[in-house]
Amino acid sequence: MKQNILLQLHPMTKFYFTLFLFAIVLILPGYLFSFALFPVLLLIALFAGVLKEFLNIVLKALLSVLVIIFIMQMLFYPGENVLWGWGIFEIKQEGLLYGLLLTSRILAIGSAFILFFRITEVRDFVKSLEDIGLPPMGAYVVLSTLQIIPEMRRQANTIMEAQKTRGVETEGSVLVRAKAFIPTLTPLILSSIAGTEERAITLESRAFSAPVKKTSLHQLTKSNIDRALPIIFALIVIGLLVWRFFF
Amino acid sequence: MTAMIDLKNVSYRYPVSDDSVLKNISFSIEKGKFTAIIGNNGSGKTTLCNTIRGFVPHFYKGDLDGEVIIDNTKITDYQLGQLGEKVGYVFQNPFIQVSGVKDNVFEEVAYGLENLGVPVEEIKVRVEEVLKLVKIEYLRDKNPFELSGGQRQRVALASIIVMDPEILVIDEPTSQLDPIGTQQIFEIIRLMKERGKTIVLVEHKMDLIAEYADDLLVMHKGELVMQGPVRDVLADPAFEKYQIQYPHVTEIALQLQKSGIPLSFLPIRDEELAEALNRTGVAVHD
Repeated sequence: MKQNILLQLHPMTKFYFTLFLFAIVLILPGYLFSFALFPVLLLIALFAGVLKEFLNIVLKALLSVLVIIFIMQMLFYPGENVLWGWGIFEIKQEGLLYGLLLTSRILAIGSAFILFFRITEVRDFVKSLEDIGLPPMGAYVVLSTLQIIPEMRRQANTIMEAQKTRGVETEGSVLVRAKAFIPTLTPLILSSIAGTEERAITLESRAFSAPVKKTSLHQLTKSNIDRALPIIFALIVIGLLVWRFFF
Repeated sequence: MTAMIDLKNVSYRYPVSDDSVLKNISFSIEKGKFTAIIGNNGSGKTTLCNTIRGFVPHFYKGDLDGEVIIDNTKITDYQLGQLGEKVGYVFQNPFIQVSGVKDNVFEEVAYGLENLGVPVEEIKVRVEEVLKLVKIEYLRDKNPFELSGGQRQRVALASIIVMDPEILVIDEPTSQLDPIGTQQIFEIIRLMKERGKTIVLVEHKMDLIAEYADDLLVMHKGELVMQGPVRDVLADPAFEKYQIQYPHVTEIALQLQKSGIPLSFLPIRDEELAEALNRTGVAVHD
């Protein structure tokens, strides 16, 4: 994994790349370019070795949204040129075009962000944000959330088991399971709130608020590519803007 | 010898409670001493630890009377963050003592040093050393959330001693450990003492306290009822009424005394029993 040039890029470079895609998708007119971007992203994902997960998430997260948006736009966007009608439903040319434009943009931007989080470790990203000035407190909140969610899931299971031994029905019809929700959720929330105090003390005993500048074992390095790429991105975006508004 | 920890008439009441948890406590602990705090559940041991660490009154509000002086400075004159370097505190519950932002034990142990701004190269050397000391090198790549209670307890201890504080406050560090693990922890504590650390330990395992600790503080219902060298406190007949366990050998010796067998002194360590019985100098196997 470490050999891969793409994955070795600085998280900020990847982030700028995502923002760059975001910008050009909005600047360029028409849906063809935006749709063409998706195969490019697929190629990048393939090259980074995350094609399968990437496709999986795109399908799960975006596909249904895209289909719904497309159908809604197609049917209900106001327009004159009716292509096909059935009762109150009419497909209009304007709606079709707008639906394509909207879905192409959502697809391009959404999958660009999904790709970003596939090829970037969140801890690297947070570290890079910290390097450019995110306070350690904020970084802690983001990172601890990532770790605490699986921990809470484990705790929820424990509570569920405990409630089972006390005779709370947790299996069966939807209604039974819904009823089991409250005796499971309440202790989970309460214990999480109680846990914050101890966590604060834990952090304090690790000198979290020590009045010195922190160091970090986790270092990110910037290569020349990482310095050059953002400038290239910015130049292209400016170029496109100029072309779009002055010609 | 200078006093490292000095409490003068300290009383403390938690914010929403009516009774004081600590009542008029005074003692002082010299630099480099190993002091054990004993007492039954709810006697205020943990609150006392919190007070020495400065969580009372910096973190827990409530009423604190009297003076707490750590290394010649009043606790109220410290900022909470400054105390982190001075007083290391390993607390009871090992399951919550995880930073929650680190993926492996090595980084978890390094976390305190990062916060203290120690240079990276030095961090690596120090963490390496502590992992070896606490015998958790084999855990270095494991996720701290996936460890057993005993393993977490070792990681928690390692994470604190790596910061090399002058004072170590350790609250029941062996509650999740097997006998061998417990013995190892006490060996580590002894090593810390040899390095000149001042140690305050809350523990229920009297045999080990008798073997390792210098002084005892006995807490009972929020009051400090007895204090002094371990041997003197245990030999004091008053100790019995607080219903705290004696070291096993002391218990046996007291039984022997009751059945009329004279002892030259009250043994508190296993190997002393023979000596206490053989006061005339007759060898056992003769």
